[in-house]
Amino acid sequence: MSAIRIADLTKRYGEIAANDGISFEVGRGEIFGYLGPNGAGKTTTIRLLLGLIKPTSGTAELLGADIRDRRALTAAKADLGYLPDTLGFEERLTGREALDYFARMRGDDRRDELLDLFEPPLEKRIETYSAGNRRMLGIVQAFMHDPAVAILDEPTAGLDPLKQDRMHAFLEAERDAGKTIFFSSHVLSEVQRVCDRVGIIREGELVALEEIDDLLERGGKEVRVQLAEPVDEAAFITPEMIDVEAVDNTVRFTYTGEAAALLAHLVRFEIDDVGIGDPQLDDIFKHYYGDDGATED
Amino acid sequence: MTAILRNESRTLLRGTITLTGLLVLLSAFLLVVFPSIQEEAALFEAVYPEYLLLMLGVEELHTIEGFVGGYIFPFIWILLAGLYFAYVSAGMISRDVRTRQLDLTLAGPVSRESVVLQKVGALWLPLVALNLGLVAVLLVGTPLLDESLEFGALVMVHLLGIPYLLVCAGVGIVCSVVFDRVETAQATALVVVFVLWLIDGLSQLNPEYEWIGNLTPSRYYDPSAILVHEEYAFLDAGVLLAAFLVLLGVAILIFVRRDL
Repeated sequence: MSAIRIADLTKRYGEIAANDGISFEVGRGEIFGYLGPNGAGKTTTIRLLLGLIKPTSGTAELLGADIRDRRALTAAKADLGYLPDTLGFEERLTGREALDYFARMRGDDRRDELLDLFEPPLEKRIETYSAGNRRMLGIVQAFMHDPAVAILDEPTAGLDPLKQDRMHAFLEAERDAGKTIFFSSHVLSEVQRVCDRVGIIREGELVALEEIDDLLERGGKEVRVQLAEPVDEAAFITPEMIDVEAVDNTVRFTYTGEAAALLAHLVRFEIDDVGIGDPQLDDIFKHYYGDDGATED
Repeated sequence: MTAILRNESRTLLRGTITLTGLLVLLSAFLLVVFPSIQEEAALFEAVYPEYLLLMLGVEELHTIEGFVGGYIFPFIWILLAGLYFAYVSAGMISRDVRTRQLDLTLAGPVSRESVVLQKVGALWLPLVALNLGLVAVLLVGTPLLDESLEFGALVMVHLLGIPYLLVCAGVGIVCSVVFDRVETAQATALVVVFVLWLIDGLSQLNPEYEWIGNLTPSRYYDPSAILVHEEYAFLDAGVLLAAFLVLLGVAILIFVRRDL
């Protein structure tokens, strides 16, 4: 039995399809990345899975429970952990009180172990929390009852890099212990780092299901190079550079090749400054999956 | 599965203490003015047109029973406490939808029916606190005025008032699941309960329209009759209880079907 099975799931708001005929399965014991730009429909799929909203057509199963069968879905949620993108805690409670509340609802066997990894200030009221602390409290409540499946919506948003790494290591350990992780993100590099398999969603449609090795080939970096003298475009630009913009001494582009090749290329020029970062996901997707959603290699 | 009940009760604690304190204070003030009102009550009853007395539900105002039943209860219980129950209930679901708190709650193994029932169940706290507070004021206050109230009637006037407050809560909880905005839900619940109270009073002015008042909850709770005549209208209380259950059922029915 798959942990999650989604079959032709559609959610329409009037003319707009937030999810349009989405189908895929998430097997037990894998980290499945659900990758898409903001507003692509990731959260809609998750909220459909949780029964918070109802599908216009199609359906899905969570741990074998049909999401249209409210009773079965409620029972299945005993084995679910959920980390929403917007964390609606009761603000006037302290972190500890909030965890006590969730513990009464679903248990907290692993609370202490999680609090060693993620350290929200438990004695403070949640209304005083920073984004990172809220996220950490969210992670603890999502995992403290040791669920078989965890659905995480942008789980590292707001976390500092150290805690992000800790989160990634934690997720891998959970996966190795047989847990299923559904990991939604708009950060390509993050998904490339932790996920085993990836579903890519754009404008409500699933445009690709990829093994992680295939996705790794579709990487990209946003690069800004400031050269010592005006750019000789013919010499500088390579086929791996897309969306190139050159103004005076500065070139901006998205690099779709390998990092080593890029560096080897750059050192041949006299460079004042360089910045390399994660690209806008939509730019990368347009390049790899085209505007019509079809894969082009 | 009482986590939500416990949490909601806790949420209501501060408001309950404040409200009980205020209403106890208000009742005490009203009791203090009773002796001076008593002297002029006969005059008052003679001078004021009958329709006004009817509308205010005033009867035997010069006795402590009439004063408490016709003055304190209609004002404090039927109007103020009724508005409070409607207001508080109207925020229960709508606020959790707004803040996305329900997403976290419903990610656990809890049904939407259970959420509504536990939230409404938390109203035990203001119900108990208000009743005890008001009983205490009356028990302590009346002997100080050299008056006394029949204890049985005093208990009944509170007990039979509970179904009325539950109906107000029912109005609130329906608003809470229907409206997306907390403010809209609360304002609507307040207006509905207030207008129903107004309709009950106004409809008594004209015999032709008096039947309209039968559609209002306050028509089924008459503190004066209980205190002055010791008439306990159990059937009317049953009607209110049934109305509350219907409203609760409607709220649940709407809530389990809607998108959050």
